[in-house]
Amino acid sequence: MAIEHHAPPEHELDTIDINVNVGPQHPATHGVFRMVLTVDGEVVTDLDPVIGYMHRGNEKLPENCDYRQAIGYHDRTDYLAQFNTEHCYVEAVEKLTGLTPPDRAEYIRVILAEFNRISSHLMFLGAFGTDVGLFGTSFMYAFRDRETIQDMFEEVTGERMMFNYFRPGGVAWDLPDDFDELARGVLSQIKRGIKDIDGLMMDNEVVLVRCRGLSPVSREDAINWGLSGPMLRACGIQHDVRRADPYSIYDRFEFDIPVGEQGDVFDRMTVRFDEIKQSVRIIEQALDQISEGPIMVEGMKRILRAPAGEVYMRVESPRGEYGVYVVANGSDKPYRHKVRAPSFCNLSALRAMSIGQYVADVIVILGSIDIVLGEVDR
Amino acid sequence: MILGMIVDNVWLDALIRLGGVAMLVPLTVIVLTWVERKVMGRIQMRLGPMRVGPYGLLQGFADTIKLLTKEDLRPTTADRWVFELAPFAIVVPIIMALVTLPFTADILIRNLTLGLFYIVALQGLSIVGFVMAGWGSDNKYALIGGARAAAQLISYEVPFILSILAVAMVAGSLDIGIVVGSQDDTPFIAYLPLAFVIFMIAGLAELYRQPFDIPVAESEVVGGPFVEYSGIRWSMFQLGEFVGMVLISILASLIFLGGWQWPIGGDVPEWAQAVTMAIKTVAFILFFMWMRASLPRLRVDQLMAYCWQLLLPFAFLQIIINGLALAYDWPLWTLTVMSLIGAGALVYLTHRAARQSGVMNQPTGVSAQQVGSVL
Amino acid sequence: MLGLLKAVGTTIRTALRKPITVQYPIEKKELPHRARGFPILLWDFDKDESFCTGCQVCARYCPVDCMTVTMKDNPKKAEGKSTRKKIVDKFYIDYARCMRCDICVEVCNFDAIVMNNTWEGVELSKYDRQDLVMDLPVLLRQSQSGELKDPFREPMGVAHSGWTPKQEEEEEVVEAKKEGGEG
Repeated sequence: MAIEHHAPPEHELDTIDINVNVGPQHPATHGVFRMVLTVDGEVVTDLDPVIGYMHRGNEKLPENCDYRQAIGYHDRTDYLAQFNTEHCYVEAVEKLTGLTPPDRAEYIRVILAEFNRISSHLMFLGAFGTDVGLFGTSFMYAFRDRETIQDMFEEVTGERMMFNYFRPGGVAWDLPDDFDELARGVLSQIKRGIKDIDGLMMDNEVVLVRCRGLSPVSREDAINWGLSGPMLRACGIQHDVRRADPYSIYDRFEFDIPVGEQGDVFDRMTVRFDEIKQSVRIIEQALDQISEGPIMVEGMKRILRAPAGEVYMRVESPRGEYGVYVVANGSDKPYRHKVRAPSFCNLSALRAMSIGQYVADVIVILGSIDIVLGEVDR
Repeated sequence: MILGMIVDNVWLDALIRLGGVAMLVPLTVIVLTWVERKVMGRIQMRLGPMRVGPYGLLQGFADTIKLLTKEDLRPTTADRWVFELAPFAIVVPIIMALVTLPFTADILIRNLTLGLFYIVALQGLSIVGFVMAGWGSDNKYALIGGARAAAQLISYEVPFILSILAVAMVAGSLDIGIVVGSQDDTPFIAYLPLAFVIFMIAGLAELYRQPFDIPVAESEVVGGPFVEYSGIRWSMFQLGEFVGMVLISILASLIFLGGWQWPIGGDVPEWAQAVTMAIKTVAFILFFMWMRASLPRLRVDQLMAYCWQLLLPFAFLQIIINGLALAYDWPLWTLTVMSLIGAGALVYLTHRAARQSGVMNQPTGVSAQQVGSVL
Repeated sequence: MLGLLKAVGTTIRTALRKPITVQYPIEKKELPHRARGFPILLWDFDKDESFCTGCQVCARYCPVDCMTVTMKDNPKKAEGKSTRKKIVDKFYIDYARCMRCDICVEVCNFDAIVMNNTWEGVELSKYDRQDLVMDLPVLLRQSQSGELKDPFREPMGVAHSGWTPKQEEEEEVVEAKKEGGEG
């Protein structure tokens, strides 16, 4: 933008926009993500996101793996909500092959997926506090509860992060005998622990001043840009895949869908915070309803061959609508395996949301989209 | 208040005292880095440093040794003298301000009749260092950080000085000894709560700590004006920050809480005075660290709006109240009442500004020229 | 302003709580029974040889191809001391590639490989990447010396598809073995 002052023609004064590279290594971007900002003073006039630093071939490599080996790839796609992604893929394969998992396996899947949703949202709250400027306090509060959840996961599956526990047709092995007390202990700790985060961040005036009114998104824009998950619900649209297109046994539980009003950064934070409470409700109902029984479908073959066909299965992951599109051709390996990642679609709206904002606010907006680079780049 | 001499020769006495300060200041800073890490750790429910020495006590020394042995880098395209002199430009004025800052009636270097004036003048000098660091680093991030730092520090100087001026008006002199002496029965915080609140907020901003730490925002402009510095120059910046924190804590306990005289009176042994001062200073230092752990940071335009639209008018209000009370010889409790009303109004307006939309909430459009009203 | 007071009140409350961190190398938490370290092989104390016969099923099912297995004729079979016709000759697992997915344990027909649920299965820092390729003596060491007290050997995956209620636990394990042996 050239601003002309009243100067003699041979000394025309221009101001130029400088390019600021928020590079792949940066304490604020959540993963290896690069943005090239064009900045006029403090205001951003253009934003160019550069992705691909974490591309690992997550869609091509499962074409060489059979259906059980490919479960591990989904763990590593969205590495903060692994049970949800495994759930999606395993249900997709079950649709292709016509298997119906037994009841107990369904309950186990729902309980673990909802716990994973809580831990993913806790991670978001911790990291978001750091973006806004809290020096690590929110991180420690969130991680204290997340550690308890991960310890519980270790008791059940053996791993803290990359579980590889769901199988087409059920789950790999049964829950430990003391799972009920374990889970209820974790739930009561979470209910106490989120009060700390509530007190620290939800009413804090400085957080309000930073986040409220920042990049509001209207309903039409949200639908046009293809947002999903908490980003969409913060704009006031009550769309949740667990209600709109129920999968597994979600129609047996009662839970609310928290929505926001204007779709700004503060609403996204409150929507995610309220979702933690709703997940706690679902888990409590599931723990009451679960019963003894088999955990793997009867007569499961050792080598699973899917008949020729295609299926698209979607679930509500903590980031939005996670979808898996599998094309089978009769052998024991998928022919085409595509992942619809919610972070990728939400991230494409970053440019429209940040033009006209300050540089410091762009970091906050990026934090509020809650991306996971493993999904974006696959 | 006569200063007791250690030896009879004036110059030798001054040298001994200066030597004492020169040894104590780095030691204090080293201990404070350990205290800060431990306090932040406890607030975050973790242990803090534990490995180096018992309970991590030697952590400060270990950090200092590490910083001293690092390679002293300088970017080749940096402006050499500006880059190298910037740390000195920040640190030297702050340490010079310690010359007239008393810790007890006898532990100080020299008492000046214009003590308070001297301290605030030197505080203002260190702003030049930020601009030098930002410019001399030849780095976009440093430039942005340096410009922000200069804007913030210059703006918050004004309410800071006005609140100190309010205290000087009530005490009747700029001499720190007289200010402390006149707080024999009631500390000035009882008469001037509004000035105290403004002093604390402006003091936090002067120290570029949360919630005003935009100049050194780690997650945004990765360190601000200090990004190209390493080794001993970096440690000089940290030294400057901690010495500034000690300076403002001691100043606050002297002019608002009665220094070494309240509540124990003036005729007590040296160690009692030192203990009283130590308790008050440590309380302020812990308060600053506590704020750092619990508050996120404000954006730079919100910061500036807050200073010019809220703090400054209330600072003027405090001076006016003082003027009225002192010129018409009203009893001092009227001062308390008016000042309390002022403080309440400040708190209420801050609350309103944060909760509803205004310049504190809505970011502006592409042209950053229009700035709305906070009220 | 109230929100600010709430925030600083929260932090002062947490400052007075006991810290939740553990000083790691000095104190280690107890690993649960099912903890999944890197895989190791089991030693058959009755026949004084490894359970593993080198059938290569685990190597074929590994998603990342981290194992190399060869088999040889069992000299103890000829002497009449063992019923295993073949025994493992060389077994290399590259721990740098292994993703601890548990599929090798699931498909093994002889229950010879198990995930290491001790601290030694996860504390594996080395200076050279080649040192992470484990060969047969290293893989058998922990079981052979008796250190591996309680590995997690519950049947997995497909073995559960002929589910029976818990009273008949012994037969369930035998059923799983038989199914595995025929498959």
